[in-house]
Amino acid sequence: MASLKIFIVARVLALIPTILILITLVFFIMRVLPGDPVIAIVGMKAPMERVMELRRELGLIDENGNEIPLVTQYFNYLSKLIQGDFGRSLIWGKRPVLVEIMEHLPATIELAIAGFLVSIILGVSLGVIGAGSSGKTNNAVRVYSAVTYALFIPWIGMMFQLVFSVWLKILPVGGRIGVGLEPPTYTGLYILDSLISNRLDSLTSSLRHITLPAITLGLIISGVFSRITRTSVEEVLRQDFVVAARARGLPEYKIMMHVLKNSFIPILTMMGLQLALLMTGAVLTETTFSWPGMGTFLLERIQYRDYTTVQGTVVFFALIVALVNLIVDIFYAYIDPRIRY
Amino acid sequence: MYTFKPILTKIIPKMPLKTMGVAGLLMIITVILMAVLANFLTPYDPTKSVGLSLQPPSLNHPFGTNKIGQDMWSRIVHGARTMLLVVTLSTIMSIVIGVPLGLISGYVGGILDRILTMIMDAIYAFPSLILAIAIAAALGPGIVNTAVSIAIVYVPTYFRMVRGQTLNVKSQLYVEAAVAIGAGPISILARYILPNVISIVVAVFTLSVADVVLTEAGLSFFGLSVPAPTPDWGFDLRAGHPYLVSGYWWLVTFPGLMIIILAVGFTFLGESISEYLGLREVRA
Amino acid sequence: MSDTLLEIGNLKTYYFAHGSVIKAVDDVSLGIYKREMVGLVGESGSGKSTLGLSIIKLVPPPGKIVDGKIIIGGEDLLKLRDKELRRIRGRKIGMIFQDPLTCLDPLRRVGDQIIESIMSHIKVNKEAAREMALKVFERVGISPERIDDYPHQLSGGMRQRAMIAMAVVLNPELLIADEPTTALDVVVQSRIMDLLEDLKNERKMSILLITHDLALVIERCDRVVIMYAGRVCEIGSVKEVSNEPLHPYTKLLIESIPNIEGTQMELKPIPGTPPDMRNPPPGCRFWPRCPYVLDKCKSVEPSILEIDNRVVFCHLYGG
Repeated sequence: MASLKIFIVARVLALIPTILILITLVFFIMRVLPGDPVIAIVGMKAPMERVMELRRELGLIDENGNEIPLVTQYFNYLSKLIQGDFGRSLIWGKRPVLVEIMEHLPATIELAIAGFLVSIILGVSLGVIGAGSSGKTNNAVRVYSAVTYALFIPWIGMMFQLVFSVWLKILPVGGRIGVGLEPPTYTGLYILDSLISNRLDSLTSSLRHITLPAITLGLIISGVFSRITRTSVEEVLRQDFVVAARARGLPEYKIMMHVLKNSFIPILTMMGLQLALLMTGAVLTETTFSWPGMGTFLLERIQYRDYTTVQGTVVFFALIVALVNLIVDIFYAYIDPRIRY
Repeated sequence: MYTFKPILTKIIPKMPLKTMGVAGLLMIITVILMAVLANFLTPYDPTKSVGLSLQPPSLNHPFGTNKIGQDMWSRIVHGARTMLLVVTLSTIMSIVIGVPLGLISGYVGGILDRILTMIMDAIYAFPSLILAIAIAAALGPGIVNTAVSIAIVYVPTYFRMVRGQTLNVKSQLYVEAAVAIGAGPISILARYILPNVISIVVAVFTLSVADVVLTEAGLSFFGLSVPAPTPDWGFDLRAGHPYLVSGYWWLVTFPGLMIIILAVGFTFLGESISEYLGLREVRA
Repeated sequence: MSDTLLEIGNLKTYYFAHGSVIKAVDDVSLGIYKREMVGLVGESGSGKSTLGLSIIKLVPPPGKIVDGKIIIGGEDLLKLRDKELRRIRGRKIGMIFQDPLTCLDPLRRVGDQIIESIMSHIKVNKEAAREMALKVFERVGISPERIDDYPHQLSGGMRQRAMIAMAVVLNPELLIADEPTTALDVVVQSRIMDLLEDLKNERKMSILLITHDLALVIERCDRVVIMYAGRVCEIGSVKEVSNEPLHPYTKLLIESIPNIEGTQMELKPIPGTPPDMRNPPPGCRFWPRCPYVLDKCKSVEPSILEIDNRVVFCHLYGG
């Protein structure tokens, strides 16, 4: 497996420029603000000390009041990032951005996992069914893939809310859990924590609350997954070794397993790359269902003009995306020996 | 039961895909007509309060009214204008930036190509909406600003495809021959590469435009698109959401439906065209 | 005849595509005896591969076996259900294909694949299966360490040997070899053919060698079946057919084989092209290219003629 280790190292090294580019991009976007960001925050009539203070916090000037050149600002920012300092919030007591991110992250992770599961179950089964049949069913699956991708998440979410929360009244309209029912914190994921601490009421409440958001998110993403699965499996089924395997008299289920394993790789890579889609979807789903995760958090801070937090959060997102792509690449190499050798 | 590799060519049932394409086209045309004929389709000014607050659909107000008494139908048809304007503008910008860059990068190669590709790949990998949000938040509201935010996000899509196609064509024998005769890079680009690239650009456009629609809807949903009284579907969706619990369903149903009709329309059209051209993996 | 291993009777396999019907195998009957190597020769499009696939009912859709019977060991394979067929495939009848790289699962080691084949058919544990795999690998000439390699790590010749190993490990009575050496260079080809011959003798196995290479068949096989455009032209022992070809197509085929010793000036290809199988010519399908064509040939299909031990379908002999 030595070749795998070399592969991993090579990939990690290749990652660095990508991350650097994204961070640079975010940094310069935030500096493009027309007008003075400080004035935008505190208003025109603010006292000079307050303005200077803010300027210092934003890293625009140093302790003596001199303007720091843009390039230096950039390197300051980089060096802070490397040390794990994502900046501090401009409002509400200057909390470190990283801390605030960590507080809101578990909710998003929980939603993302739930949505992901739904989309895999829905998408992969439909994809396999579509690949294994021809004609009408195949086309039906294609149409499904096309349509679900184009559905605007907030609207779907709202329709679900309309039907299940407002008209049928069987599921809550938003939020993550009923008031006062939060389980003790172990992982930050309510469902897991409820199970660990054996609290049935928390479990029921969190499950009820996560149902609609997870289905909404899962539905949209299942479209992409079903198309990826379908094309992948179709591609593999066309390969000769399937015929050869049948000629050896292998039972059908074993052949399907081989087919799936072979289609697994492209499916997996594409799935990993769908993280971007998942994140976008999560942000939209959270705002629709008042789910207290990163999406709602980001939005709130944008509205409050908390630029440092917004910047730090976007950088964080970038790091996550890069990290997941790395993991997917490594996993890919692990599964397919041809890549390594 | 399962399909093998056939010895003869695989049957591609073109019929259903054609139907898809046609259906998509119809949807798109409907929206375009709405936008163009907006003033004829409704007597009301979408930005003014013209009726009682929160009225359900009626003869006077086919889509009802919202909290401040604006007519929803008129907001819908005028919203079509906003949407289409932003989508058109941003697509033009993406193409104007992405295509030449892709051409140059693919043709010239070398360090420039490496750097550009790295930058474009980095942007491409990032979630489109979140990046657009970041840029839009920085730039502020307005049609042009919104279009710019979205344009930046989709430049890599055009860049990659054009660059790929350029590399493809560049390695063809007839281009080598032209170089051997002494044709300059500009004439080569114009005469050989560009024509081949155009069909790819069309394909990319049809497939990514649905995404652009959804991104615009997303931005306007977060209030980062056009400023307040201007009708925009995403914004109306958000504005109507709080009233959903009380049962005022018409505030969100129609704007959202429009977004989906447009997005699905473009998707159907894009699918059918890309199948026709035999392309894969052109997803934005 | 109790010497007959497999009998194909009036087999018809058609492909249904784009509203038209391609009669890839159109009423073919032939027999394969025990312990012989039969060459099935034809151009591309003659239906020979389809015939091979039809025997174990692996014709891919849109193809379908429309009629006929295939009898081995008293059972008509075409009447068996999939589950029962699986018993035959790999066990009683083995098949190897032209391109071993695409025919082996690229993600698994070759040893694992052959072990899986073994264990799907007989009740042995993994170690015993591995023993069998090692033994057969040795027999086909692959060094035992390579049993844990991945297909892409083996050379072309070795991959083909691995496929052969997988096909013969359970001692089938019939091995269908579809162009097994076409993708290999001449030296390797010769070695693989040696291996196949040895296996045939050792294991009392029959081999149906499907190929376009008549010279190879003349060199190695006992009997030969010539196919053209979905129909049989001629069947006979290699000696008789090569010395005295009856069907005009056979004659032209033999003439087109380049003579390495002689003073041949030019190659003699057969003029014309194979017919469009959606619309084959009426009557004898070969008539547009036949130098001996009679009027009758253009409208009446020749029926079977048995002359001694040979079979021919041609009006020249009074069919």
